[in-house]
Amino acid sequence: MMIPDRSEYLKGLAQTGQKIMGVLPALYPRELLWAFDIHAAEIWDPPGEILHANAHLQTTICPIVKKSLEFILKDPDIINAGYLFPHTCDSLQNLGTQVKDLIGVSLPVYTFYNPKGSFNNTTIKYYRDILQNFQLTLETIYRPLDPEKLLTACELSHKIDSHLLAIHQARMTNHLSLSNEEYFKLMRAQEYLLPADYLNLLEQVDILDQPGESLKTRLMVSGILPPTSKILEFLDELGVSIVADDLLAGSRRIPKFSMDAPSSPIDYLTDRFFVLPPCSTRGGDLDERMHHISTRMKDSRAQGMLFDMVKFCEPELFDHRLLVKTLREKSIPVLTLETELEHHISGQDKTRIEAFTELLFDMVST
Amino acid sequence: MAEFYFAGVDVGSLSTDVSIIDDSGKVLSEIVIPTSVNGSEAAEAAFDSALKLTNLSRDGITAITATGYGRASVAFATGKTTEISCHGVGAHQLFPKTGTVIDIGGQDSKVIQIDSRGRMLDFTMNDKCAAGTGRFLEVMANRLELDLDELSSSKNIQGESAPISSTCTVFAESEVISLLAKNTPREEIVHGLQRSIVNRIWSMVTSIGIEGEVTLTGGVAHNKGLVALLEEKLGLTLNIPENPQTVGALGGAHIARRAYHISLESGTN
Ligand SMILES: Nc1ncnc2c1ncn2[C@@H]1O[C@H](COP(=O)(O)OP(=O)(O)OP(=O)(O)O)[C@@H](O)[C@H]1O
Ligand code: SF4
Ligand SMILES: [Mg+2]
Repeated sequence: MMIPDRSEYLKGLAQTGQKIMGVLPALYPRELLWAFDIHAAEIWDPPGEILHANAHLQTTICPIVKKSLEFILKDPDIINAGYLFPHTCDSLQNLGTQVKDLIGVSLPVYTFYNPKGSFNNTTIKYYRDILQNFQLTLETIYRPLDPEKLLTACELSHKIDSHLLAIHQARMTNHLSLSNEEYFKLMRAQEYLLPADYLNLLEQVDILDQPGESLKTRLMVSGILPPTSKILEFLDELGVSIVADDLLAGSRRIPKFSMDAPSSPIDYLTDRFFVLPPCSTRGGDLDERMHHISTRMKDSRAQGMLFDMVKFCEPELFDHRLLVKTLREKSIPVLTLETELEHHISGQDKTRIEAFTELLFDMVST
Repeated sequence: MAEFYFAGVDVGSLSTDVSIIDDSGKVLSEIVIPTSVNGSEAAEAAFDSALKLTNLSRDGITAITATGYGRASVAFATGKTTEISCHGVGAHQLFPKTGTVIDIGGQDSKVIQIDSRGRMLDFTMNDKCAAGTGRFLEVMANRLELDLDELSSSKNIQGESAPISSTCTVFAESEVISLLAKNTPREEIVHGLQRSIVNRIWSMVTSIGIEGEVTLTGGVAHNKGLVALLEEKLGLTLNIPENPQTVGALGGAHIARRAYHISLESGTN
């Protein structure tokens, strides 16, 4: 399975004249953009030092926001259709305002205010409204929406979801022979590949008929992004498999169950938003989130939970304490790491991870 | 009948410690030397010194566990385990009723929860900075022009305590400088510093909770003033090993012994 490099791929795409919008984390109606022939290139953790962004942001802002701003300030030539800021957290919302009004980039800046809270009449109505508003905004700039195109986009999205759901399920039951690193590379390729290319990639994934070799240590991971590639590599070395995840850049963007094929796009998009797993950035009931995590742990037979927390991420920190407490009460081992998305792994983190593996392994061997 | 011997080699950030035991678990020799700059050289030197105290040669040691932050650099080890597991096992061997281990070393401090068999249940570790570690105290001793023994004396904690609000080494050091400038007595400053470490350790302890007896390991267990303040804060009497710096190495030796016996039973050796 060959996954193209992110920046090479996007550069190539920009050269063909493809319209590309830079989209900040995390949830947005990608299908609407596709229907306007706009490609969404998601900006989560662009590489490079944070230099200029610090001048605009407080020190206690998460590295995702800082890295994104640094990226935007460099005026990257791969982005040509503007930036989209979904309302994921206050920090991103503020960044959107700052980029639009204060810093002044040459490209248009859009916002998308996702509803907070769970599925009910008010949130559904609100979500339909903002979808329609976003559609109107795009129509003003581009052209009237072609309903057929939106339906096709929803169908593509539905196919991608179905594959992702199957792959995610296969991961939990050990029917996938991918290392931690390969698995998350595959998950994250949706952040930049054209949907058709991504679907093509997913279709090549081999789901085994029989479970693979029995796994030494099984772990679930929770947070915003998967652990950095250095940590994933280290876990691979230690024989620890991440069998389930509760990541915003991972399974929190895959519907909880398989949906019917779309017939009415707006209904489909609304339903899809509300069948996504519970997430700290969408508010809602913490018990529901805990229940979801417990179910995933059980289904995947994960022996422990790794919280990989992005430093200063308010929504995640808010839920974290109670989640840890609840898991501990259930005698589930928990390890929390804090990341600034650095490219190395510290000696202390190595010791933490190794000790946690010893703890899990000892539990299995007794 | 063949005799089996086991060793643990703990290459810590400040000290390299070795413990050699026989198959009954009896300690034959223990050694503590500074790690200096080269972990692998320190491991070789400490291991040879520990062997000298027995009548054994290197070949006479059946299995060796390397531990500590420099565990990967011990070429002659037969296995490696983190110092977190090793301190748990070592503390359990010395004080079998231990449920909680507090290890305060040079660079890291850890709180480890273990079960009645010495197996780790949970742990927590200080974050990146040196706050709440032996290194913090060494920096302050240097600033106060005291040696470690003077700094550690329990006399310092009998009177007033100067307010040290910062646990960060850099900020605390500047607080010490300004206290000295105001002619604050050294004992009061030391008292304040010891309390700031104790508070730091206490917050780690409360994050995972106390179970069973509490055993203090690592070099800072030599620090009498700190031990007294920690006992006061936790409201209990701590188990203090005679040789707190070699507890990790001792645990390593026991882990080597256990692994060897498991491999014998399963016929892989
Ligand atoms: N006699 C003593 N009196 C007071 N403190 C002491 C004494 N001996 C050692 N220490 C303290 O112990 C610390 C070193 O402890 P130890 O040898 O357990 O560290 P380490 O294992 O090398 O470090 P780490 O585990 O963090 O890598 C020193 O920083 C010092 O503060
Ligand atoms: S990491 Fe947290 S704080 Fe940062 S952008 Fe994401 S949700 Fe917002
Ligand atoms: Mg140590």
